[in-house]
Amino acid sequence: MHEPLLNEDQRDALQEIANIGMGLAGARLATLLGEFIQLSIPSITPVRVDDLPGVLSNFVGNQDRFTVVRQAFTCDVRGEALVLLGDDAVPELWELMGYDPELDARSAASEQEVLIDLSNLITGACLSCMFEQLGRSLTFSPPTLMGRRVSLHNLLRPEAMAWETSLLVEVKFSIENRTFCAHLVMFTGEDSLTTLKSALDELLECM
Amino acid sequence: MSPGFESTLADLIVDNMGVGVFVVDPAYNVIRWNRFMHNRSGRSPGEVLGNNLFEMFPELPRSWLTKKFESVYLLKNSAFTSWQNRPYLFRFLHDRPITGGIDYMRQDCTFMPLIEGGEVIGVCVILFDVTQAAMISYEREAALAALSESSRRDGLTDVFNRHYLEERLSEAFNQWTRSGDDFCLLMIDLDHFKQINDEFGHLVGDAVLRIAAVRIGELLPPGSIFGRYGGEEFAAVLPSTLLDDAMEIAREVCRAVTLEPVQCGDSQVKISVSIGAAQTSSAIKQYEMLIKQADGALYLAKSRGRNRAVSAAD
Repeated sequence: MHEPLLNEDQRDALQEIANIGMGLAGARLATLLGEFIQLSIPSITPVRVDDLPGVLSNFVGNQDRFTVVRQAFTCDVRGEALVLLGDDAVPELWELMGYDPELDARSAASEQEVLIDLSNLITGACLSCMFEQLGRSLTFSPPTLMGRRVSLHNLLRPEAMAWETSLLVEVKFSIENRTFCAHLVMFTGEDSLTTLKSALDELLECM
Repeated sequence: MSPGFESTLADLIVDNMGVGVFVVDPAYNVIRWNRFMHNRSGRSPGEVLGNNLFEMFPELPRSWLTKKFESVYLLKNSAFTSWQNRPYLFRFLHDRPITGGIDYMRQDCTFMPLIEGGEVIGVCVILFDVTQAAMISYEREAALAALSESSRRDGLTDVFNRHYLEERLSEAFNQWTRSGDDFCLLMIDLDHFKQINDEFGHLVGDAVLRIAAVRIGELLPPGSIFGRYGGEEFAAVLPSTLLDDAMEIAREVCRAVTLEPVQCGDSQVKISVSIGAAQTSSAIKQYEMLIKQADGALYLAKSRGRNRAVSAAD
């Protein structure tokens, strides 16, 4: 049995700031997109690399093929955020994201762009709002596309990962009355776990 | 260091950087325009500063870009664009006017919020010239495409090879099981090829194969998938074609192949082909069975004296 990554207090604290953060992020995204945004209650999951496939299945259910956009985030806590998008619903997103249906040829490139744009918004809003609660402001790398309709289990194979443990924060993003949905999964870098824990401890002391 | 000197230093750096830097205020008026932007756009700070970005550069995709800026103001986070999705925002010339072979400078942009007192007072756009990286990526794509094309071709005749032919046949067959759109397969065999090789040598034999492939290929309707099945045997998938029409095509192929002897150096080689034709039908459960039927018909064509087409329905 391994020592748990977070103690109970730390976990509660992280859950709390994630809840508040996602609430804020949802409101900001709703203002920006002019739609009601639903963000699920974030799930906080410490994970050992070998358990990753199972944990991901818990998040996304039976669906295995996703378009995956990744982005690095950095403050004194670092990591990567993946947005898993089901892209059958791309047509719904054109107008939402300010694309001109006349001008933007609906090519594969512009489909990718709309998905990458939206991922950047989701990642930026959710993670910034969450880390704001810890008094930190994040910088993000430009988003990159890891794959279009790729198998999640092929993309994230434990044997190809150079880490042992990570802390995952997952939230499901959907837009009211639309079929589009996406999952945001934040992976905390292994070297940042200690920093994150002390940040949570500091927060707990202030409460 | 005095604060005055520090800000001069910052100004100098921003102005002389090898990347584009400009700032717009919430009304999209340009309030900073560095030398890179000046040189590349041909518009000086004097012309641009204080003016609306979209009025100065009507080529910019306004509604989409506005959404980008709005997201930066609202979320206080950076937004990004990549050349891979949108090759450029500004129509800037690049540094490979002679050797580049592309129109405008490829650009990656970062839209960075400038935050003061918790509010976004402007957006700084940093524009990177990524033409060189884009060119390398284009070259890589072209090389991969060429590689994938050559992996489909038969080295001798340059028609499709057996592997690719079977792949496409299998695809067409699966498509047929869903759509019911009948198609035909021709198996085409060069007559007396062993004799040609023995009599004239392998070089002539190779030339005969190449010329036969050209003659057959020219007569197949557009959309046909034609390849070398092995040795002196070719195959053609004729999409959306019924057996009667396929036989018509097959007879025409037989006639055209024999029309002229093949001239190889001093040798004149008379050539002809035998063809077996088969059509999809409910009795055929796998694409391999279609090959088998066409092969059976080809065998009949051979045994009935060659230089003819026989249908599997005979």
